[in-house]
Amino acid sequence: MKILIVEDEAPLNKSIVEYLSSQKYRCESVMTYADALEKIESHQYDCIVLDIMLPGGSGIKLLQQLRETEKEVGVIIISARDQIDDKIAGLKLGADDYQTKPFHLAELSSRVAAIIRRKNLSGSNMIRFEEIAIDVNAKQVTVNEQALTLTRKEYDLLLYFIINKNRVLSKSAIAEHLWGDNMYLVDNYDFMYAHIKNLRRKLLKSGAGDYIRSLYGMGYKISVK
Amino acid sequence: MKLLTRYSQLNIAATIGIFLLGSCTFYFLLRYVLINELDSTLYTEQQEITEYAREHHALMEILPANDQFITYRMVDKPVSQRFSNTQLVVDQQPEPFRAVVFGLNINGRNYLITVSKPLKETQKLLAIIILVSVLMIALVLLVSSLINRRLLHRLWQPFYNTIEKVKGYKVAQKGLLELEETKIDEFSLLNQSITAMTERVQQDYASLKEFTSHAAHEMQTPLAVIRGKLDMLVQNEAVLKSNPAQISDIEKAVHKLSRLYQALLLLTKVENGQFVLDEPVAVHEIIEEKLIEFSELIGSRKLESFVDLQPTDIVFHKQLAEIVIGNLFYNAVRYNKNGGKIEINLAADRLSICNTSAVSVLDNERLFQRFYRHAEVKEEGNGLGLSIVKQICDMAGYRLCYFYTEDKMHRFEVLF
Repeated sequence: MKILIVEDEAPLNKSIVEYLSSQKYRCESVMTYADALEKIESHQYDCIVLDIMLPGGSGIKLLQQLRETEKEVGVIIISARDQIDDKIAGLKLGADDYQTKPFHLAELSSRVAAIIRRKNLSGSNMIRFEEIAIDVNAKQVTVNEQALTLTRKEYDLLLYFIINKNRVLSKSAIAEHLWGDNMYLVDNYDFMYAHIKNLRRKLLKSGAGDYIRSLYGMGYKISVK
Repeated sequence: MKLLTRYSQLNIAATIGIFLLGSCTFYFLLRYVLINELDSTLYTEQQEITEYAREHHALMEILPANDQFITYRMVDKPVSQRFSNTQLVVDQQPEPFRAVVFGLNINGRNYLITVSKPLKETQKLLAIIILVSVLMIALVLLVSSLINRRLLHRLWQPFYNTIEKVKGYKVAQKGLLELEETKIDEFSLLNQSITAMTERVQQDYASLKEFTSHAAHEMQTPLAVIRGKLDMLVQNEAVLKSNPAQISDIEKAVHKLSRLYQALLLLTKVENGQFVLDEPVAVHEIIEEKLIEFSELIGSRKLESFVDLQPTDIVFHKQLAEIVIGNLFYNAVRYNKNGGKIEINLAADRLSICNTSAVSVLDNERLFQRFYRHAEVKEEGNGLGLSIVKQICDMAGYRLCYFYTEDKMHRFEVLF
């Protein structure tokens, strides 16, 4: 899976590349409009992470050009502008998702994964982690081929963990993923604890290993020890 | 006190003063003239008597007359001429008279002669003249004050028009303040100055707004960098293990800052009128959604909720409606006490949300100000929730009220 990162802020660009690379994506990165245009014209990508405000031009224009020539590339816009107009314009022109800065890398990664899954309808929609398998289309979880019933939040949580496997997810990243725009619940971690506790209990009961670990009160991580 | 009233007061006081002074002067002047006139007739009489005495060496025979009395008296010494006011008894009534007293020497004898004429007629005339002039002046005063009132009111109209416009003026409004043209230099100067001032204020306001928006925006990218780096940093378990508290604190601070930024940006957008309120919004549905969203929170605090919803559709903005209801709802839950109550009432024209709380009455003056926090509240809100609600309601033309009820509940009401 090949991803192009178009972001003019070097340190942020580097972080995104590092994080996504650790998720086994092949990442290329550019920092200007001209470079991005050149890359898009000469290469094929599965997903493009696109900043709106770029030196030399607007990401929106780039997206426009991309949609005129290219067909099947997934685009996720990252922007410091939380302007609804921008969001609508971006999505109208064919962006697949929109992420407002500052975002958690884990959140970006899970959205990139979702876009790639949607684009590859022909490919496998099964995501596996050890004996746990998730059928993303059917939203079904199986452990050792045995169906496991999860609530909506538990399912979201598990998918988020597995997509970001072996990475430490901070509590705020998890809460924001689960509750998104509903800032009221995001600030209160109690509900997140409850959901994680239930998920771990259900997984253990169904015979899966205890892969979700709490890390020094800072966050969680799913990994094989 | 109105300028017109004050002006009239001063005007009338001054006029009355001048009028009193003038009347007194007029009275004495007129009296002097009339008495002078009387004196000259008396003097003519005296001359006649003197003439007669010189020719006939005898005193004139006194003929009885209504308007004149003459008396002769012999005296030892010669008498000098003198005018005076006296009282004579006529028909048993004392009446004022003007008299001239003079002496004559006829055949070696000294006579004292008094000629008197009644003052009554003169006084009557004086009274009539004074009365007429008083009435005239009073009339003039009345009429002029009425005319002044009318005229001044009309002349000042452009001023009141301007004040009315300035009262309704909001810095955030689009377009300049338009003031009527006036022919009066002073008002036209006033209007020009106000227009120039509002232009300057609007420019300053616009640049301040732009600055806020840019500053908030420019903060976002470094914030994104911090968050990205932090996400990368925590992947190193050795680092995480040795500094969990520090990393957690940084994480929290970044989270708070980004939340603050989003709230400020929302406020700016509402202020800039970037939302078009043309969506049909079913308020009851949003409340029901929020009730489900908050059910965990409500349950965990063992709150009792009483909900009475009438299906209400308004033309508004869905996202903003969710923010308004969400914020009010969240406050009602968050600042509640364990085992407390929440009451939600939705009618066609109003939404009211009531809650019990450990916190006492809120300061109605400062409640909706940005970054206002009640002294008893220790939790870390960003202090923008209610000002966002207020701003949205203001923009939509809804009224937002706060009451502290007798049974110690906080009630927030939105009147559509």
